[in-house]
Amino acid sequence: MKPLPSTSSKTPVKFRMPTSENLVPIRLDIEVGGQRFKDAFTWNISDPDSEVSVFAKRTQKDLKLPLAFATQIAQSIQTQQTEFRSYKGQEMLTGEKIVPIKLDLRVNRTLIKDQFLWDLNNFDSDPEEFSKTFCNDLGIEDPEVGPAVAFAIREQLYEIAIQSVATARESRNAKKGRRGEYSSISRSTGAALDLMKLFSNRYSGVRKRKEWDVFEPMVDMLSNEEVAALESMVERKPR
Amino acid sequence: MASTEPPAAVTPPSSKPNLLPLASPTIITPSAAASVAVAPTASSSSPATPSVATPRPIPSDAEVFHIPSYSCWFSLGDISECEIRCLPEFFDSRSPSRNPKAYKYIRDSIVKQFRRNPSSKITFTEVRKTLVADVISIRKVFDFLDAWGLINYSPAALNKPLKWEDKDSKSSQHAADSPAGPSLDSTPPVRETSKRLCGSCKSVCSIACFASDKYDITLCARCFVRGNYRVGLSSSDFKRVEISDEMKTDWTEKETLQLLEAVMHYGDDWKKVAQHVGGRSDKDCITHFIKLPMGEQFASSAEFGSSINKLNQMKDDNNISSSSSPSKRLCLSPLADASNPIMAQAAFLSALAGTGVAEAAAQAAVTAVSEMGQGEPKADIRSLHGVQGLQDASITSNGSDVLKSVEEAHSGVNPKPEEKKVNVEEVEEEIRRVAEVQMKQIQEKIVHFEEVDSQIEKEWKQMEQMRDILFYDQLNLLKHERAIRKSGQQAAEGVRTQGDYVS
Repeated sequence: MKPLPSTSSKTPVKFRMPTSENLVPIRLDIEVGGQRFKDAFTWNISDPDSEVSVFAKRTQKDLKLPLAFATQIAQSIQTQQTEFRSYKGQEMLTGEKIVPIKLDLRVNRTLIKDQFLWDLNNFDSDPEEFSKTFCNDLGIEDPEVGPAVAFAIREQLYEIAIQSVATARESRNAKKGRRGEYSSISRSTGAALDLMKLFSNRYSGVRKRKEWDVFEPMVDMLSNEEVAALESMVERKPR
Repeated sequence: MASTEPPAAVTPPSSKPNLLPLASPTIITPSAAASVAVAPTASSSSPATPSVATPRPIPSDAEVFHIPSYSCWFSLGDISECEIRCLPEFFDSRSPSRNPKAYKYIRDSIVKQFRRNPSSKITFTEVRKTLVADVISIRKVFDFLDAWGLINYSPAALNKPLKWEDKDSKSSQHAADSPAGPSLDSTPPVRETSKRLCGSCKSVCSIACFASDKYDITLCARCFVRGNYRVGLSSSDFKRVEISDEMKTDWTEKETLQLLEAVMHYGDDWKKVAQHVGGRSDKDCITHFIKLPMGEQFASSAEFGSSINKLNQMKDDNNISSSSSPSKRLCLSPLADASNPIMAQAAFLSALAGTGVAEAAAQAAVTAVSEMGQGEPKADIRSLHGVQGLQDASITSNGSDVLKSVEEAHSGVNPKPEEKKVNVEEVEEEIRRVAEVQMKQIQEKIVHFEEVDSQIEKEWKQMEQMRDILFYDQLNLLKHERAIRKSGQQAAEGVRTQGDYVS
């Protein structure tokens, strides 16, 4: 095992999505006059051409939604964008972060459950590529699954990135001289696993057999009734 | 990575693909499952059989997709230079997620998705829901494909009976969207009318349009101004055509005859003319009258015919100026009262045509005359009369120089067609004559002023006389007054002395 460079755990990094492209996950959940519109997609925030209002108008027109949606959509996207940008100048500590990413989503009729480890330090990571490979390998026919998977991964990464910003702030305020910064980080962010603990098996990097089930992806196709049942359950919850 | 460049020039769609539409369809080599056939932008009856002869037979089991001829560079297997040019951000390695592979993935998925159901239009939202990429990249590629007609392009939409569609170099989206068919029906043609449809924006031309006879294209004013015409055309190829009177109704022979009668009778009173014609406003009458070819009306007077014909020819060429010059008409009204109605007509026409035009025409006619040599004495006498009459009239009009030339023109003009050259001496003579006329004008004015002056003097003298008389009367009055007072006093004294005697 290669010793990891110590700099990666100590020096703070400017906030960004820990992926190759600084794409923001945007989630829309708008209700206007009894009609509910839910959507989730990735938005390129560094592109100067990205016009929020144009996109909103287009979505509204394409889906034949009432006009009020366009402004709401635009607003929602804008708020999420500004939120992302507000984190921009701040620092985050990355440490040795291998985080488990969990997938538990239902897209139309496909149900997906999965768990895997993701390296936060790897700024070249690409959730889109992962998602494409995922769909190809598992033979998922529904083309809408791909973007949903990529979005889910991104969203979780985003959450973790925000948390790391918060911890960076904390540790700056806290007294200096605390030993082993990375350990404190791993304590505060419960999701991160210690590399050492993970690779406790000294002889091989292969996972223990009993953990195989946890990390195996599960794809299930639902029938129409099950979909209907699930949807009504979801809708009942917020009420 | 790029495929071979097509022979036609390719420009980015943001500045509209101004390509000359290829006459014959081109067939792209089959890639994967489907082969793509290109139909010309002209109407094709069914998707399966292109109307123009194909260079190669299409394999019978392949699916046929239609894309416009200016997108013939497209192929599913490669990325062409056109795409690299239009979407540079995917190819300049500036951002890691925008690379050629990602571009190809997005593009191919969009195109395949569209081709699964080519008869219905695919929306951006449908596409972005199914693609694993950020929505902005998807949107860019989608817009690009849309603009170049690689998706959402169906030749069935071209089957509508559009007049100018085969000259249209824009994508058929406009043909599908703008219902040119219904617009043809909805405007009720009272009599036979030529509907003018703009070739590029497919709107009905309302006020004015620009027609190019060379290529038989019509553009509405907006498209012409914006430059929405094909490569190879310039603004000089287009001629302005007024639509407003054409659109409404065309003039029948009967109406034209009535109009001419009315003009003969009423001259310049267009209201009466309009009444006489019936069903036309006075403005309509005026505009139509201007556009009438005048030559046949004056066929009887041979000496005027040619010059007026020439005037008319030049007038027809400069239709723009004549159709919008009511102000010129106004300044002719003093002349219209001239005794000779034909003279009035000539003056009217020459004013409409513009001084330069009429002068050139007249001068040309004059040169023809001078080349001819001596004119007949009859013509001379008549011309003299004409000259004098016109001279009087010209003094009161604005375009005196024009009339001078016109008068020269019909002083013994023979219908001789060739008159191109204008001698320098002729020009000098003309100028001299013009100067003479101007001087005469000034002289007349001076004379007039002198008269006015003398009148004023007379009145002044009268006023003085009256003042003297008044003074004299006043004096008399004073004298009488004094005399009366004296006599009064004397009478009073006389009475007193008598009274003394008595007492």
